[in-house]
Amino acid sequence: MTRKSITMALAGNPNSGKTTVFNNLTGARQHVGNWPGVTVAKKEGSCTFQGHHVKVVDLPGVYSLTAYSQDEVIARDYVVDARPDVVVDVVDASNLERNLYLAVQLLEMKAGLVIALNMMDVARSRGYVIDVTELSRLLGTPVVPMVAARNQGTKELLETVVGVAGGEIPVGGINLQYGQDIEAEIAKLEKLVDGNFPAGQYPPRWLAVKLLEEDEEIVRKIRQAGVG
Amino acid sequence: MDSQVVIQARDESLAHLRKVHGDDAETLIADARYGFISGLMRDVLERPAVEKVTATDRIDRFMLNRWLGIPLFLAILFAVFQLTFVVSVPLINLINAGFDWLGEPTSRIAPAWLGSLITDGVFGGVGAVLAFIPVIFLLYVALSILEDTGYMARAAFVVDRLMHKIGLHGRSFVSLILGFGCNVPAIMSSRTIDNPRDRLVTILVTPLMSCGARLPVYALFAAAFFTAYQGLIVFSMYGIGVILAIGLAWFFRKRLISGESGHFVMELPPYRLPTVTGVLAHVWDRVWAFISRAGTIIFSVVVLIWLLNYLNILEQIGRAVAPVFSPAGFGQWQAAVALIFGVLAKETIVGAFGTLFAAAGDTGSLGQVIGSALGWTPLVAFAFMVMILLYVPCVATISTIKRETGSWKWTLFTIGYTLALGWTVATLVYRVGRLFI
Repeated sequence: MTRKSITMALAGNPNSGKTTVFNNLTGARQHVGNWPGVTVAKKEGSCTFQGHHVKVVDLPGVYSLTAYSQDEVIARDYVVDARPDVVVDVVDASNLERNLYLAVQLLEMKAGLVIALNMMDVARSRGYVIDVTELSRLLGTPVVPMVAARNQGTKELLETVVGVAGGEIPVGGINLQYGQDIEAEIAKLEKLVDGNFPAGQYPPRWLAVKLLEEDEEIVRKIRQAGVG
Repeated sequence: MDSQVVIQARDESLAHLRKVHGDDAETLIADARYGFISGLMRDVLERPAVEKVTATDRIDRFMLNRWLGIPLFLAILFAVFQLTFVVSVPLINLINAGFDWLGEPTSRIAPAWLGSLITDGVFGGVGAVLAFIPVIFLLYVALSILEDTGYMARAAFVVDRLMHKIGLHGRSFVSLILGFGCNVPAIMSSRTIDNPRDRLVTILVTPLMSCGARLPVYALFAAAFFTAYQGLIVFSMYGIGVILAIGLAWFFRKRLISGESGHFVMELPPYRLPTVTGVLAHVWDRVWAFISRAGTIIFSVVVLIWLLNYLNILEQIGRAVAPVFSPAGFGQWQAAVALIFGVLAKETIVGAFGTLFAAAGDTGSLGQVIGSALGWTPLVAFAFMVMILLYVPCVATISTIKRETGSWKWTLFTIGYTLALGWTVATLVYRVGRLFI
């Protein structure tokens, strides 16, 4: 394993403990700036782990990756444009079902995703039993159980991040099946956009899905690329 | 490649899917994701046979109760203010005594102008502002605890129910609550409101929320004029602000910016025990902002006031404007000066009085000195506090409104309506109050 500099983006729903994870990872080494062109605060920090320099970029807390709010557009643009080595999605284990909505969309984007399964203690106290191994297998991507409030799991998370960045731990992407009618339309659109819009590095299937979701931001990007 | 081909193909696909399924593709795709997740849940998650009634559920039965929710919110806020003031008064007196002690030898510094600048300008003006650190600290400890436990989200939820009934967007109140800290981030947070009309209305009324900078002004006058009821008086300032914000939002939405309101599902996080570091981090942000503002903008403005006073120009400026405020009872030039410079930063109002009356050489608490020098009654002080609450937002807030609305029209509108509102309500308070007192 060679030493290198790793960039990880921290995504997650509001109230998932994302800020706590960020603080655990970076300690006092953080600074606040602005996302380009907008005045939404951009928090960055860094840490050194096993000789690797890990830069941590805190994305805005969002539930979804649509174009309906500026925060969501910022989060997904960063994942696609800046191509961080790893995207960590902080998921509230006590609210798994709702929190996975964002994780699924990140997986659809083929962002090198690691799931930080936070608040395991809260989930346990409610009597939930989560099969972490099975979750990881079904999503095809690493899942790290954590209790960020007590700084548990931070080291394991960093180990996984380093492993993913170094290519030793495989990460997945999923291709959801949307049903045969939609799939037929996706196939048509995918063929049209594939290779034709290099300006955005979006995966073609994802572009096709976003088009069908009537995502205005993507339509705008395609218009821009089409003119040039 | 012509992007038009892609867009057209997409439109055909959408039309086709709508015909086949009778639903938007967007909905179908979201359904597929939820379907995938609920299938996944069945494989990885084992729930207890009977879902435990969590502590959160039990607490929420009271906190979110249709009838109890809002009274509880008010009671909690009131307790916060009461506690803040009971605890902080002796601390404030201690700090004031400290600055007096520091200012005693500096007043003899030669040349006389330098002694006056340090004693009256720096210690009298900036010191008067810094004396309120305990209030800022305690209030934000309490508010951070409410925030970190998850209670503030409940407060937004109960108020949201009320706001929905009068056609307002619930997300607005979440932004408004942020305004208790500082109006600038509150206005910026309105970006999370998708509907542009709801967002605009929220921006327009956010300046009515009492921010941390206005708190020292309230504290100063509450201590001098309402000794036994400080908590209640300051609570009433926050209350008047919230009520007027909601009322005006409703009015603007009806008269100026009509149209459909957006939908919003409020997130209710479970109650959590706040961590000491978490609360202290939030409090430190606020206290540090307060201290650094006192050292920068407040310091500069206070020195400017001191200079204008030293050159005998200040009184002329004040006298030119003061008659405007006579109907509200505070038509003295000192009050006019404080209001003018308060637009730069609201804490400056305390600093301005501090400089003016330190220069006059009076002793006793600043609030009492102001009261006896200007002949104010508690009623006048209350009318003045109302004016501070409502009149023109500070420069930082104004520039944020301009940036976020992108419109000079709405920015000037906000300046105009807040000034008119402040003057009208303060005058009403004074005139109506005089009928009874």
